[in-house]
Amino acid sequence: MSWVPEQPDRVWRSAEPKRRYQVVIVGGGGHGLATAYYLARNHGITDVAVLERGWLAGGNMARNTTIIRSNYLWEASAGIYEHALKLWESLEAELGYPILFSQRGVLNLAHSPQEVRDGMRRVQANLLAGVDAQWLDPMEVAEVCPIVNVSPQLRYPVLGATYQPRGGIAKHDYVAWGFARAASDLGVDIIEHCEVTGFDRRDGRVIGVRTTRGEIGAQTVALSAAGHTSVLADMVGLRVPLQSHALQALVSDLLLPVHPTVVMSNAVHVYVSQAHKGELVMGAGIDAHNSYSQRGAVHVIERQLAAAVELFPVFARAHVLRTWGGIVDVSPDASPIVGLTGIEGLMINCGWGTGGFKATPGIGWCYAHTIAHGQPHPLNAPFTLDRFTTGALVDEHGAAAVAH
Amino acid sequence: MADEIVFDGRTVPVLPGQTVAGALWEAGIRSWRTTPVARAQRGLFCGIGACFDCLATIDGVPGQRACLAIARPGMVVSSRHDLVGAASPGTSATPGPPSAARYDVAVVGAGPAGLAAAATAALGGSRVALIDGAGQPGGQFWRQRESMGEGEERGYRDWPVFAGLRSIVEERVDHIPNATVWFAEPGFVLHTTAGRVEAGRVVLATGAYDRVLPFPGWDLPGVVTPGAAQALLKGSGVAVGRDVVVAGAGPFLLPVAVGQAAAGVRVIGVYEAGDPRGYLGRPGSIVGVAGKVREAMAYAAALARRRVPYRVRHAVIAAYGEAGVSGVDVARLDNAGQVVAGSVKRVTCDAVAIGYGFTANLDLALMLGCATRVSADGGLAVMVGGEGQTSVPGVYAAGEITGVGGATLSVVEGELAGSAAAQAAGSSDPLSGRELASLRRRRRRLRAFADAMHAAHAPPAGWPVWLEDQTLVCRCEEVPYASIAAAVTDLGASDARTVKLLARPGMGWCQGRVCGYATAELTARLCDRDVRRDDLATYAHRPFAAPMLLGDLSRPT
Repeated sequence: MSWVPEQPDRVWRSAEPKRRYQVVIVGGGGHGLATAYYLARNHGITDVAVLERGWLAGGNMARNTTIIRSNYLWEASAGIYEHALKLWESLEAELGYPILFSQRGVLNLAHSPQEVRDGMRRVQANLLAGVDAQWLDPMEVAEVCPIVNVSPQLRYPVLGATYQPRGGIAKHDYVAWGFARAASDLGVDIIEHCEVTGFDRRDGRVIGVRTTRGEIGAQTVALSAAGHTSVLADMVGLRVPLQSHALQALVSDLLLPVHPTVVMSNAVHVYVSQAHKGELVMGAGIDAHNSYSQRGAVHVIERQLAAAVELFPVFARAHVLRTWGGIVDVSPDASPIVGLTGIEGLMINCGWGTGGFKATPGIGWCYAHTIAHGQPHPLNAPFTLDRFTTGALVDEHGAAAVAH
Repeated sequence: MADEIVFDGRTVPVLPGQTVAGALWEAGIRSWRTTPVARAQRGLFCGIGACFDCLATIDGVPGQRACLAIARPGMVVSSRHDLVGAASPGTSATPGPPSAARYDVAVVGAGPAGLAAAATAALGGSRVALIDGAGQPGGQFWRQRESMGEGEERGYRDWPVFAGLRSIVEERVDHIPNATVWFAEPGFVLHTTAGRVEAGRVVLATGAYDRVLPFPGWDLPGVVTPGAAQALLKGSGVAVGRDVVVAGAGPFLLPVAVGQAAAGVRVIGVYEAGDPRGYLGRPGSIVGVAGKVREAMAYAAALARRRVPYRVRHAVIAAYGEAGVSGVDVARLDNAGQVVAGSVKRVTCDAVAIGYGFTANLDLALMLGCATRVSADGGLAVMVGGEGQTSVPGVYAAGEITGVGGATLSVVEGELAGSAAAQAAGSSDPLSGRELASLRRRRRRLRAFADAMHAAHAPPAGWPVWLEDQTLVCRCEEVPYASIAAAVTDLGASDARTVKLLARPGMGWCQGRVCGYATAELTARLCDRDVRRDDLATYAHRPFAAPMLLGDLSRPT
């Protein structure tokens, strides 16, 4: 582990909105920026605007815990997440920008016989899908991460773990800035402080957006607004099966290297890594009620820490400096919704729940393809909106880490 | 045998009641923390728990503020900061409050305002809890050593007022010491480091800490706030240096200088950036505050007796030194608050106490949703009505957090707020109509005086000019001025919150307590506009009001 190098240049062109674009992407988070980049890079579509109502990457991109992995259960999920992970592995060179991608491995702990069975099954499924995966017994867990308490006396003892060595973390704001700069260099307009307040339609088709900075026409409007997707979709009368909840996280003071990997525990609702600078970054469970407020309940943090301190006794002596919340958009099967909406000119990318960051380059790639061709890329084809009426669900409740 | 603690393997003598920082300072140790980025040395700075520069590992628990921790014989203090190898269970092991019952009124802060509020509410028959982070009541103004000797109270102003309030509190109020409120829920539930307290009404009297403007060298060991110098002296009986410069703005510099001089150290000079003649422009402001005028004259006489020069329109604009401060640049200021060309003089010293007024401690007020405003001194303050009621029903505020104004005003506001809270809680009115009318009159006069004081002792307009590119603005995250400027000029930030997200000032241990005012001011100036409420509030709003040990948080209160 090393200190973070000098902050890289963040500069991109700050554009004034034009009257119309070929593609308007709503949401300047990681997904929106990556989509814009791959539209320009892979499809030569550079007449693109990314609209952000606040500052760039200030939503969930700034609020997640930066964990990257691809060990999901189903082939459909493994396909998109593994595509993303492969892109992560060369992203720094691709963008010409430091993103501090660190493949330090990810452990998913199992605390009950059922979780052991599920974990072992998932390892087999991952291997079949070409995703690196291992099953570790408690002693092997302790070898990978010596600070985990593997004593059988715990309330939730560690009975084993899945391990994906290629998983890891990256520096979230550098990822956003890298995509922003690269997209901007290719001609994409990045427009901050531009909130979408409505949609313009003609003959049922979406032909543009109304914003706090005026009307902007578009051949295609592509939503990429995570927890606020349902608010936008409501404006065009589209009902999306999403529940928005606050999900909290926190950071500790800066510490010497103590935690070499990433540890996630579904049962006790904790996932934690040590960032490059030395702070522990910990995620909590989601608040049970629906909310668009980026602030969660304090008892969720207390419960999370009770579990975390039991699992990692040394953490008792760290201090919480800051907590925050993001809004996660959870779909009924804990899988994303990407593609057509049934409304001409409107595309959707949402439902990533607690796991959108890791997919950033992969979904940017596939969503760009979907927008450019007017039909889904094979990797996001299973994640249609109409699967909730056809019943072709991709049930990832078990692998989505935080129980939804 | 003298009592001792161990610091990094070396024994350090301690006096009863001294803080760890006080004991280290007395032993000539000026720094005990290494910053993570520049590997710079830090020690005492604010001296009262706001800045987190003085962190040490104490008895195995890292991240303890040496300025607050009382040095107990046998304590082991280490400059290392890590989790591995620490021997303690990682909890602060403080006992809970005397009972978990619900109170009519909970008062947070046991300084002048809080003591007055608690005593007044209790006299009205309310069940009152007085919660305070320190071991002793009194706040910063009446800060004492744990075991004070006979006659030591002579060094304090208005000691009989304190003694009177304390005796009422001892008799009628549940005083919960050593309890920092880290989270406040509506309704009201106060989560403290000593357990949970519930109350129907809350009086916030959370006080203030020194406001410091950055300048080159302000992060050197030995450069401290006036409050730190005062706390070292009052709390630990330790002078801040041998050759001391006192600088900044405001009447607080006077007692600080007099205190150091009386302790036998050489006060090289008091450099006041403002100009007390400014009061003359507001003759109405000193009507009815004869005590304030007498107090200032007594301090001036004390300085003159000891031949300590008092220079107005002068400022310390840079500090120098290797391991610690060894000298400062003092400059004369013109009417516009800019350095007069050719007026800079080098002054040799081994300690600097510098501050420009105070910053109110607003995290709990903001957490509970109280409306705030930009106050007469340019800082943030809680908006209150005539009885100290805030915009949130059931929440009252008193003292410095309603606008910095000094201890006398704080006591008056505390009495008004305590009375209002007790009445709202259904207790009998502790004050007669005449007493209330008299309190309101006094409050008006003292507030007018405070406004005149802020005008006369405003931070000099030219301070940003003193900064160099590499001068730190945020001491915790080690953010230099150049990064703040780049966030606005290169990256397009137009408010202090965005500057925080782009350049990270205010993201470290102190969560913007120290750099908030400066960063908000710098942002506004770089954007060519005045400071807005939101610029200041973004550095005063904290999800938790104190950094909490994970071990403590893991045991729900």
